[in-house]
Formats: sequence, C-alpha cells, structure tokens
Amino acid sequence: MKIKALIPFVAVATSFAGCSSSPNAHYIQTGGQESVVNVNQINIQDFISAANAATSDLLASGVLDRVQPPPAVLAISRIVNNTSQQIDTDLLVKKIRVALLQSGKAVTTTTYGLGGPEDPLAAQMLSQPGRTPDFTLSGKIIETFARAGDIPGRLGG
Amino acid sequence: MKTRIATLLFAAVALAGCESSPSVNTIQNAQQTGQRNLIQDRRIITDKPFSRRVSVLAINTAMTPGDLLKVQVELLNRTGSIQRFIYSFEWFDVDGMQVNNTLSAIIPDQLEAGESKFISAVAPSPACRDFRLKMLQAQDINSP
Repeated sequence: MKIKALIPFVAVATSFAGCSSSPNAHYIQTGGQESVVNVNQINIQDFISAANAATSDLLASGVLDRVQPPPAVLAISRIVNNTSQQIDTDLLVKKIRVALLQSGKAVTTTTYGLGGPEDPLAAQMLSQPGRTPDFTLSGKIIETFARAGDIPGRLGG
Repeated sequence: MKTRIATLLFAAVALAGCESSPSVNTIQNAQQTGQRNLIQDRRIITDKPFSRRVSVLAINTAMTPGDLLKVQVELLNRTGSIQRFIYSFEWFDVDGMQVNNTLSAIIPDQLEAGESKFISAVAPSPACRDFRLKMLQAQDINSP
C-alpha cells in the first residue's frame, strides 16, 4: 500500500528532474565537441587557431628578445580582408595583442597606428616624445577556392 | 541463381568496405644528430580504445631563446584508418597555478593510417614551467 502511494510522487519527481536536466540553451566550450564547425565560412575557432599559431611562432623565434631595452614595442598596422566575407579583423588582432602582452615580450602602442591612433586619448599624447615602435603588425586574410567534381571547398589563410 | 549473385555482390561490397585506407611509410636518417630531451610523463587514461589507436610515443621539451618552455609530443596512429582528434595544452607556473592563456585553443588534428606526427606548443609566458596535454577523439560528424 505504501509503495503504491509512493509511485506517483516518484514519477512526478522524476519528471521534474528530467525537465531540469534537458536545457535547451547552454554555454559550450569554444572548439569543443559541441561547437559547430561550419563550412565555407571562417569561424571563431579559425581565428583562435590562426592567432595561436602566429603568436607561438613569433615568441619561439626569439626576435622580440633581441630588442633593447625590452620589451619590444609593437604597433598595429593594417590587416587586409581579401575574402568575400565580412570579417572584423579585430577578432584576430586583439587576440594576438593580448597574447603578446601576457607573454611580457612585447607591448603594443596605441599612440601609433595607421590613419591615426585608435584611442582618442592616445592622439592627444602623440605630441609628447616617446619610444617609436620596434615592430609593426600587418597582414592579409585570403581565401582560395577549389573544386573536385561536385565537391566545392574553400581554403582560408 | 539470383540469390547466388546477390550473395557474391554482398560479399564484394563487404570486402570493399573492409579495405583499409593507405598507410603512411616513414623514412628518416639513421644517424640522428639532434638529441631530444625526453621527459617522463604521467598519464590519466579514461578512453582506453582511443589511447590504443593514437599513442603518445615520447614527449620532449626545450627552452626557446626567450626562455619560453616548448613542448613537443610524438603521436602514432596504430590503426589502419585515419584518426581525428582534438587537443589543447594547459600551462602552469612554478607554484602549480594554471596560467591564463587567451589563446588556449582546442586544435583539431588528424593522423593518417600508421602515421607518426609531432604536435608542439610554446608556453604563453616565461612563468610557465609545467604543462598538461588533453586529447580527445573527435566525434564523427555523421554520428547522431
């Protein structure tokens, strides 16, 4: 008798538990198993991989360590988007900037930049004498198309 | 008669399905000049089938000119088919605290049948002294 009386409660509790454990919206890890890999389009994971490769190669080369006095000063130049997509190149540049700053090997200057400083406050400071950049960062995002029969493909670089 | 042909066709299709992909042949110079600084590692294996398919042969480390730790891991695909996986490196300072890395990318990679490959990473800052490599078999996009 007691068992029969408990069954509805257990069923109700189980159904509630089921509702709470099946979220429709949740955060996923970027690049993880749940992340969506799209084709024919550059995604955030591509930017992270590109920034990771560029920064690792730059740090491993040791060229930033040859600048005296350290750390090297890096100015951001133009990143050309030569693809058919609309891309905010800051997705790439900001990641490289932050990674270089965290490494302690380089600092980025905001008082120098193509077309004037990015920061309006830095524009006012430009009149004051300061250290000129040791390096500038520029680049181009390109894409090429390839087709094998009915299978199209796009290669980014 | 039709049954026999159907059986033969089925067997042919089954054999074609079992055909393994081309395997990688690797050649290198016998007298190796470079000496790898191999290190001992500690492994936590939770996916044994995957670890049997893709094995970590050796890990060596070096310091870059800028005093950054560089890690190189040699992998081998022991199967006759392509193996896809994702991996990421985590970095730790001298106190064992994880160093925040904005570029802690999860990198997709693959190994052809019988292929051995090196994956490497450079520490994000000179403070990094230890590392951890995480590997996960990539899910088949055709699987539900």
